[in-house]
Amino acid sequence: MTNEKTTSHSIKHHEAELSVWPPMVGLSSLLMIFGFMIAFQWKLPSMGMLVGGAGVVMLIISLFGWTSEVYKSSFEAGLSKTAIIVFILSEVALFGGLFGGYLYNMFPAPEWPPINTPKDVPPLGTALILSVFLLSSSWTIHKAEAHLEEGNTGGFKGWLFLTILLGGIFLIGQAVEWSSLIHEGFNVSTNSFGTFFYTITGFHGSHVLVGIILQVFILIIASRGRINRERPTIVRACGYYWHFVDGLWLLVLSLIYVLPSY
Amino acid sequence: MECSAHNKKCSGIKSWLFTTDHKKIAVMYLTVSLVVFVLALALAAVMKIEHWSGGKDIIDAKTYNVFFTIHGAGMILWWIIPVFTGFFANLLVPLMIGSRDVAFPRLNALSFWFFVAATVMAVLALVTPGRLDIGWTGYPPYSLQSGSNLSLYVFAVHMLGASSLASAVNFITTIITMRAPGMTWGRLNLTIWGIFGANIIQLFGIPVLAGAVTLLLFDKYLGTNFYNAAMGGSSMLYQHLFWFYAHPAVYVVALPAFGVISEIVSTFSRKKIYGYTSMAIAIMVITFLGFDVWIHHLFTKGVEDWARIVQSLLTIMIGVPTGIKVFNWLATMHQGKIEFRSPMLYAVGFITMFVIGGVTGVGNGLISIDLHVHDTWWLVAHFHFVLSLAMTTVAFAGIYYWFPKFTGRLYNERLANISFWFILIGAIFAFGPLFEVGLKGMPRRYWAYPHEFTGPFRVSVVGGYILIIGFLLTLINIIRSAFKGERTTANPWNAKSLEWTIPSPPPHYNFEEIPVITEGPYEFGKK
Repeated sequence: MTNEKTTSHSIKHHEAELSVWPPMVGLSSLLMIFGFMIAFQWKLPSMGMLVGGAGVVMLIISLFGWTSEVYKSSFEAGLSKTAIIVFILSEVALFGGLFGGYLYNMFPAPEWPPINTPKDVPPLGTALILSVFLLSSSWTIHKAEAHLEEGNTGGFKGWLFLTILLGGIFLIGQAVEWSSLIHEGFNVSTNSFGTFFYTITGFHGSHVLVGIILQVFILIIASRGRINRERPTIVRACGYYWHFVDGLWLLVLSLIYVLPSY
Repeated sequence: MECSAHNKKCSGIKSWLFTTDHKKIAVMYLTVSLVVFVLALALAAVMKIEHWSGGKDIIDAKTYNVFFTIHGAGMILWWIIPVFTGFFANLLVPLMIGSRDVAFPRLNALSFWFFVAATVMAVLALVTPGRLDIGWTGYPPYSLQSGSNLSLYVFAVHMLGASSLASAVNFITTIITMRAPGMTWGRLNLTIWGIFGANIIQLFGIPVLAGAVTLLLFDKYLGTNFYNAAMGGSSMLYQHLFWFYAHPAVYVVALPAFGVISEIVSTFSRKKIYGYTSMAIAIMVITFLGFDVWIHHLFTKGVEDWARIVQSLLTIMIGVPTGIKVFNWLATMHQGKIEFRSPMLYAVGFITMFVIGGVTGVGNGLISIDLHVHDTWWLVAHFHFVLSLAMTTVAFAGIYYWFPKFTGRLYNERLANISFWFILIGAIFAFGPLFEVGLKGMPRRYWAYPHEFTGPFRVSVVGGYILIIGFLLTLINIIRSAFKGERTTANPWNAKSLEWTIPSPPPHYNFEEIPVITEGPYEFGKK
């Protein structure tokens, strides 16, 4: 690969690019929001589902259109690696705010978790088992990247698939844990621990989900032959993000599961 | 889709709607911001009439609450922040660092469209049932109980947040990776330093605010207990999270503004900016110190003493780098060949208002004074001087300064100067008397007031209208000159910085050849 900087600067400059996809994504986000508002504020759930659903469909179409446009150009500047690190810093701030709020509520509380929390909450055992799956997926995605660097696209796809599988097991496990807890009568409204428990594990889980969607997406475009040794940036970016999500789990585990258990 | 310079696709509505060109996006940001600015100004005009007498004049209390909510949110979140992080950043970053566009042009377009989506929601919040009357701060428990359509507030913040976050990632990446050869950090324009600092604040601050309002949404619609004290939650948590972003947000505005003023003062004094390094350091110091002062918004709310004392001291410490900047501007002007073109006039006016607002701000930072003036009209006067008026003056100064660059035309100098005097005099009369009203203990956010305050309030009403006329004159000037102004050259001010070396308006690829930079942007007196 030639020097990334000179590549980006020697782009043919007499052409101005137009793209329909940014305004389409903007519009689809507006539709999804109207969906929520119609369902929750104006109490018309089915109407809201319809509008919000249209927004989701439009979003998916737009994102595919967007990426195929990006992959039409014949070079990549490799700027996404810097960008994803910058973006992860903002995620640190988001979770910093949530954990800060959690500790802000925990320290003055006479008892943590509050007395009306059911006995086996938080379920530390389940969480520890799930950790094994999630943390080992950090290793598998690392293997996948190493294979890609060697030019072994087959090995890359195999290890990536394993990563998706491990992440998927984690998510399913967490969904099962949630539903059994709700069955026991521990939900978001039980007390402030319930509120924070579901919100923080839910925010983390949604990040796992985004990571998995990204990996599935990479697997799809890799099977179309668009990912190779020369264009590894999106894989690199996805790898950084996945390591961040895994590292974050350690914090969730220690603050939400371990700390209240002692 | 692509278009070449001689192709029809390059003009017409599609070339704007589907554009990824940073200069067009900048102009679209400015347009939307100005529309909301006019709307919020109209609300202010109605509220000013309401202040003519102590009782009811034209609107009732509920409508007054809705108006100050939309006025505050509109002016802060749609006008003064986006005009710097949207308009100036988009216009100037690629031109000043010597690149053809930002790092991710499509993402940049998406930032703008998220901003438009948020604007749609702001307008809906004003006209649909459940009008927002919760203040731009949206404190619980009132925001949860008021019966207003909270989801509009939360989602508007989300959309603005997504927009600003995408911009922050984009501009930080651009400034780090896409500087032209030879454009070292020490040769960057101070405006670029300001935009860099502002985007760092956005990057760390916005997610916290977005989190805080999301929890508000959960509390209202999904039955959680974050801010519900009865179930072990705490409404104070919201105020902490809110101000963790919302205080640094003033530096998101101020840092690029400091940069803009530095450019103008240097160019029209025909002198190198005094103390470049100290200016850049001051910007970065404020960036980080800005995150440790939010508790000065909560001095009366029962926060522990150690936290109050520490953050009171840090608040006053921010006065130091800010003061350094004011002295550096004065030193730059000292013995310079000062030319009072409109941007320079606005810049000097800014320094005046900023010193009034800044000195009262240091006073507010002291716990003992704050306990007395907290939530009074004093505060309203303070932040209108330091944030609203001073920064709007900078925004106008910058718009006039770069107007030849992004439109290729000259503004009307005479009208700009008349507008300036209306703004300066209007500002002093509109908000000067409110310092007195506040010091005497009149709380803010009331639509009525006791009759002994009639005098100062009426002065303020008259001043407010002078101010509004001043703003409108500049708006007329901008719109008229954009279409009918006299054509101009590449560098009408004889400025030294990189953006003036290319034609006005710049071609869409900006630079025919990527330039090689050999000196800083303020090298006056050298050939």
